[in-house]
Amino acid sequence: MTTAVQPAGGGAMARPSSGTLADVIDTILDKGLVIDAFVRVSLVGIEVLTIDARIVVASVDTYLRFAEAVNRLDMSHDKMGLPELVGDMEQGGAKRKAKGALEGAVESAGETLKDLLGDRREPERVSRRGRRPEEE
Amino acid sequence: MSAATESVEAEGTTRTGVYVYAVVPSDVEVDREARGVGDPPAPVRLVRHDRVAALVSEIDVERPLGRPDELLAHERLLDATAAEVPVLPIRFGAVVADKAAVVDEFLAPYHDEFDAALRELDGKAEYVVRVRYVEAAVLGEIIRENPEVARLREAIRGTPEDVTRNERLRIGEIINQAIEAKRQADTRTLTEALTPLTAGVNVREPSHELDAANVAVLVETAREAEFVKAVEKAARDWDGRATLRLLGPVAPYDFVTALKPEA
Repeated sequence: MTTAVQPAGGGAMARPSSGTLADVIDTILDKGLVIDAFVRVSLVGIEVLTIDARIVVASVDTYLRFAEAVNRLDMSHDKMGLPELVGDMEQGGAKRKAKGALEGAVESAGETLKDLLGDRREPERVSRRGRRPEEE
Repeated sequence: MSAATESVEAEGTTRTGVYVYAVVPSDVEVDREARGVGDPPAPVRLVRHDRVAALVSEIDVERPLGRPDELLAHERLLDATAAEVPVLPIRFGAVVADKAAVVDEFLAPYHDEFDAALRELDGKAEYVVRVRYVEAAVLGEIIRENPEVARLREAIRGTPEDVTRNERLRIGEIINQAIEAKRQADTRTLTEALTPLTAGVNVREPSHELDAANVAVLVETAREAEFVKAVEKAARDWDGRATLRLLGPVAPYDFVTALKPEA
């Protein structure tokens, strides 16, 4: 899930070179100009197959997962210490399993695609130059 | 809409439309290698009208849109564009009948609004700051702060889920509420720290149950270094309790939604 994340040295801030598919979905399906508001006559309805990456809606599953997480949480050594860190790592597996299947799928797809596509910052798609290209 | 669809149909055997990615100033050029959505990915072209232009590509309207590589292609094209020129990103999936419609119904009627918005965005970029709680750390906090959670936790300890289902649902509900309250407080702390360095802030809906903050900001390019430093400081303050990711610069998706035609 965080393979693209490069620790920024010292701090806890990660500055991934590109967002995961979940990040992209959160942005381009939900933000930006809505063309329907502008174009009415020549708008072409096209089927858009997308997944709602949001699993925030509180559900029974979420509640049960939280309960299991506190059940497993090792609080024997109070404060933040090694036991809690170990607890966190142990939970990694269970957490991933219990997490919304959709998000799991999205995130793993994101990784694979990222590997295939490489760094998105490489290409310079549009630039401002003096010269004008032929217009289509 | 049906009239337009018919005219597209009449053009040939494959029904094609024009996918619209963004509005940009007209004095830009598009890399001939640039590709967008579609299978195979279609070349990206520019449709100009006076001082504004639209980034478009041809698309087969029979085939549904939304494969992961199409979502990524749309986003990468817009973000790479935003790195060079001001851009008004359009939500994924915008298709119109043909290039004439892009000019007649989109660029021409709203030319002045688009032109003004592009000028306003010139020299600014969007960043997204996503903070997520470290589960064990935030749960530990909640157990310490909330005696009922601590008590219920003892009650479910070592029991199978179906035996203590009610207690588990209750504990989960309390935790969920506690996280919501923490998220609100932590989001406020973050936005208060960043607001002085930004030209705009949009608090996004959380996209994960452990989200501590999900905030988009508009930053003047000249202040980028200062802004990144502030985010790094926030990350250090959160260390161990939450992890922070800084995405961007990206196209200003969160700062164009106010642009709407007069109803």
